Amino acid sequence: MSLDASLIAKSRRRTELGLIVIGAFAVGGAYALASLGRTASLPANIGPFLGVIVALVLVAHLAVRRYARCADGLLLPVAGLLNGLGYVVIARLDHQLASRQAIWSCVGVAAFIATLMIVRRGRDLQRYRYTLLLVGIVLLMLPMSPLGRDINGARVWIALGPMSFQPGEIAKLCLVIFIASYLVSNRELLGMATWPKFRPFLPHPKYLGPLLAALAIGLAMLVVQNDFGQSLLIITLFIIMLWVGTGRGGYLFVGFIGFAAGMFAAVRSVPHVRQRFDVWLHPWATYDKIGGGYQIAQGAYALAWGGLAGTGLGLGSPGLIPEAQNDFIFAVIGEELGLAGTTIVLVAFLVLIGAGLRVATHASDRFDSLLAVGLTTLLGFQSFIIIAGVTRVLPLTGVALPFVSYGGSSVLASYILLALLVRVSDESTSRDHGARRERAMAAA
Amino acid sequence: MVSDQLLNVLKICLLALLYLFFLRVLRAVWVEVKGPVLAREHAPSPVATGDRHRRRRAPSCLKVVEPPALAGARYELSGEFTLGRAAGCQVTLDDTFASQIHARVFDRDDHVYVEDLGSTNGTWLNRAKVTGPLELSRGDRLQIGNTVFEVA
Repeated sequence: MSLDASLIAKSRRRTELGLIVIGAFAVGGAYALASLGRTASLPANIGPFLGVIVALVLVAHLAVRRYARCADGLLLPVAGLLNGLGYVVIARLDHQLASRQAIWSCVGVAAFIATLMIVRRGRDLQRYRYTLLLVGIVLLMLPMSPLGRDINGARVWIALGPMSFQPGEIAKLCLVIFIASYLVSNRELLGMATWPKFRPFLPHPKYLGPLLAALAIGLAMLVVQNDFGQSLLIITLFIIMLWVGTGRGGYLFVGFIGFAAGMFAAVRSVPHVRQRFDVWLHPWATYDKIGGGYQIAQGAYALAWGGLAGTGLGLGSPGLIPEAQNDFIFAVIGEELGLAGTTIVLVAFLVLIGAGLRVATHASDRFDSLLAVGLTTLLGFQSFIIIAGVTRVLPLTGVALPFVSYGGSSVLASYILLALLVRVSDESTSRDHGARRERAMAAA
Repeated sequence: MVSDQLLNVLKICLLALLYLFFLRVLRAVWVEVKGPVLAREHAPSPVATGDRHRRRRAPSCLKVVEPPALAGARYELSGEFTLGRAAGCQVTLDDTFASQIHARVFDRDDHVYVEDLGSTNGTWLNRAKVTGPLELSRGDRLQIGNTVFEVA
């Protein structure tokens, strides 16, 4: 390792450790405060709780030191903070869910470390693109098998003993890797109009085909399973990655037009979608109907009640919001920590997105770069869609807030995503600064 | 019994701690952005001389070695160009084993790279298959279909 790279690695790891310490204290404090507010006593398990948190993030930190020492130092602490805050809110809502979330967070960190250990070079993933596409499609189809279960009208779950799992979350990661590697190897062909022969205006269907097929299969599965949030996410992912991968603004334009047209048609013809729109525009008019605006209205009340600094942890009444631990966790944070608290969540996601895009621009390999763009898009849009849904910027679609919401599959997938970003970041930094030095040594 | 006021104060403290976290994040970003300058100043001198040494030897053209009929033809390396059977390529190859748009040669930061563009029969650099962008240096042999270039 070169001098340059090791200097950078050292400073980044020091930053990471410092942030982790502050973050762990903040989460511990929030946990104690939530208990103080609710029962006027410190939680009995505050000591072990802090211990477990610190141990968990420290293990992750050590793994980064060992396997990706040049990686960006902000990704892990910010994600850890979000996960911790989410856990505090879930623990404040429901103890049983909290213990499950704790287990899933441990599994998530283990997956983070395992991913760092297994994927030693981002480029290696490129070789498994069709395998990963297949895995992704199988995962998307799993809920339709006898293992699948219907929860809240969406058939996206599979039951594994007492646990339920949403395989679609992992499938999205497989899809990102596939698109990135496919685009990289066919970039020129997709950026050029060669079809039809007499008046070319489209890339040859031979090259566009596999992408469109993957998109169509993904969307068909999701529409059948009645999961709008995920289909929205996958469409956005495709459009953005095609745009970035080929550098053709046309994809963005056509994608947007097509999307708007599709949305319009869906609102006109599918009753389920129209209901969503009605609820979005008039939550109070449909307040007491089944599938009406009750949830959104309660979320709005919670945010309003929170005001600037919130009611204080444990002092609000978020129990009134259906699915508070899941889709509406943002509203709970808004109620108990106010605008100040929600700003923290927003800034945390902004930092993650900024760090992710920075990784993408610095990556030396085109695949790594596109992979980072895809992963960041996934993380960013998922958080945007659900936060916008809660705050009524967009119609509500049920996706999890990454790292924060209750849900094992979401936490697991988010940590794997984070590990891949960390891996790409490490690789680009160490290669950038290492290679220059190595070349110099060879020449000298 | 904990009074409401105390809880309120504690809540403000918690928020302050969280904002402190993000101040540190901000500082880290600032250091990162400023960082490379510092790192360059500290870089040992061999790096600089090595780079200069290297630059002088950077490849400047591709010479055809095979097929013998075309041997000796030269293509200057400047900017970026594509090689392939298509007429639109900067270097058009009359070679049935080459794909329409077969490979791309480009320079970045004074280094010249070759990249395969999803060709059917592959691009070979010193008899190894080119899977990602690979750096070219003088004396390398680049094979596309039946055509072999020497990097000079």
